[in-house]
Amino acid sequence: MSDALSDDGSDINQDDSQDVMTPAELIAKLEEAWLNEKFSPELLENKSEVVECVMEQLTHMESNLQRVKKGDAKASFHRMEIDRIRFVLSSYLRSRLQKIEKFFPHVLEREKSRVEGQPSLLSPEEFAFAKEYYTNTETYLKAVALKRMPLNLQTVDLLKAVPEPCLDSFVFLRVKEKQENILVEPETDDQREYIVDLEEGSQHLMRYRTVAPLVSNGAVQLI
Amino acid sequence: MFCEKAMEMIRELHRMSDGQLPAFNEDGLRQVLQEMEALYEQNQADVNEAKSFGRSDLIPSIKLRHCCLLRNQRCITAYLYDRLLRIRALRWEYGSVLPANVRFHMSAEEVQWFGQYKKSLASFMRSLGEGEGLDITQDIKPPKSLYIQVRCLKDHGEFEIEDGTVILLKKNSQHFLPRWKCEQLIRQGVLEHVVS
Amino acid sequence: MDPSEVEFLAEKELVKIIPNFSLDKIFLIGGDLGPFNPGLSVDVPLWLALNLKQRQKCRILPPDWMDVEKLEEMRALERKEDAFTPVPSLYYMEITKLLLNHASDNIPKADEIRTLVKDIWDTRIAKLRLSADSFINQQEAHAQLDNLTLMEINTTREFLLDSLNFMFKLRSNLQPGSSKGQLTDY
Repeated sequence: MSDALSDDGSDINQDDSQDVMTPAELIAKLEEAWLNEKFSPELLENKSEVVECVMEQLTHMESNLQRVKKGDAKASFHRMEIDRIRFVLSSYLRSRLQKIEKFFPHVLEREKSRVEGQPSLLSPEEFAFAKEYYTNTETYLKAVALKRMPLNLQTVDLLKAVPEPCLDSFVFLRVKEKQENILVEPETDDQREYIVDLEEGSQHLMRYRTVAPLVSNGAVQLI
Repeated sequence: MFCEKAMEMIRELHRMSDGQLPAFNEDGLRQVLQEMEALYEQNQADVNEAKSFGRSDLIPSIKLRHCCLLRNQRCITAYLYDRLLRIRALRWEYGSVLPANVRFHMSAEEVQWFGQYKKSLASFMRSLGEGEGLDITQDIKPPKSLYIQVRCLKDHGEFEIEDGTVILLKKNSQHFLPRWKCEQLIRQGVLEHVVS
Repeated sequence: MDPSEVEFLAEKELVKIIPNFSLDKIFLIGGDLGPFNPGLSVDVPLWLALNLKQRQKCRILPPDWMDVEKLEEMRALERKEDAFTPVPSLYYMEITKLLLNHASDNIPKADEIRTLVKDIWDTRIAKLRLSADSFINQQEAHAQLDNLTLMEINTTREFLLDSLNFMFKLRSNLQPGSSKGQLTDY
């Protein structure tokens, strides 16, 4: 066997101030983030530290594989695993980018009104992308139509024109940490609000708005 | 009827199924802008008239024209924006070079918007992982490391598979290969999938 | 969610294989595997098991529950109960499909297993349709769906969620002052 592959790379987090995560835990985090992002109607907080660590792991493994002899049986196992991880990572980043494009004025507005110290919705790369997308689209609409319209109609408020994410969408979820006294709002006037407990491991169908904070703190997983 | 043309443009896009891009309706846009100019001028005149001579009876028609102006503006922006979304989807479907028949249906400004979109996307992908870079337009489907039976349609020479083994792709020879390794060669017409 | 993505998740499940080769322990990013010794069973994720099987490097041992007698009991219970009964694996359908398609020679009574799992699936999907129907009819705001698998949810996800959202929009447009995020109509 080759030495290059016996390195399990478990010290991904040299920064003592942070929790040390094993690579397996890191991949599990990525998969959770992937499914949550796929099913949540709004853009969730960015997980750029996870993205960066996963990419580091992939690069590390790929460079080890470069040094491996042809025909090494282990190399094919590693290549298959790399393909799987890269798929989840790309798919996760794609879901986010799609939402950024879909809701760009709102996403940028959230970012603008964010208080110092509050976690940012967008990673620095996503923020740069969203700003460029906004400018590009606004410039286009102006050049083609708006500046040829009567003076009082030469601007469009993109915040009003582009639909907001619908937080009242229903989602499927699995409970990871037990939650008590979750208030379920009535659907119709002749119903009354009521309270449910979300037992660990149970699965539910309810409005995203009700569980949004639980998704972001990791107490429930969207499925 | 006011706003007729603008609605027609919206319907024109609505009729097209999702991923399709009809030719840019330059003529329609020009007609709507003309209608808007006319509505605006009439309103200017009526507003002056109303102000100078206290003609409050003109106010309802001023309001009606203003609503038509807003509706026209809304329809045109919706038309343009919906087209951008379709063009954006094309980037993910075809890659950064669009087929000629698609480009033919785009206006010069749309081509420009598309160019900028490609640039933003490329620099986003380059900057991922602290400058490491990751092409997220790849890996659209989950990987399948499954093997398939293929037949060689022409001589292709040596070919390396995932575990480092090298095989000779000779015309009419049959092989058992990882699917993802063959996909491109199948598209190129070197291999064909033998369905048993 | 694309069904291929649910299958992708199912491929993470561990299965036992009997390899015909030897190899030291490997340190994958997602965890350690092996060592592999000819004739000795070892746990590997399904994606690897299927790959090795296709390259004729192993025999796959079917999971305990993939057994005619056990599945017959499950089918009987599933038909008797109104609620969804617990499943032996959250990915029972995908695992069955993958193993029967790519390793059927390692699965005793493969055809009977295929039919049994299909029966269980059909019974569960019929229940799911009924409960989705009553959820919409009763205009419920919450439903508990224990034991439902991701693939089962996936068969109804788009249709059910789109319908619920559409109904919500229709209802909220009836109430005054709820036009938040929507353009005023011109």
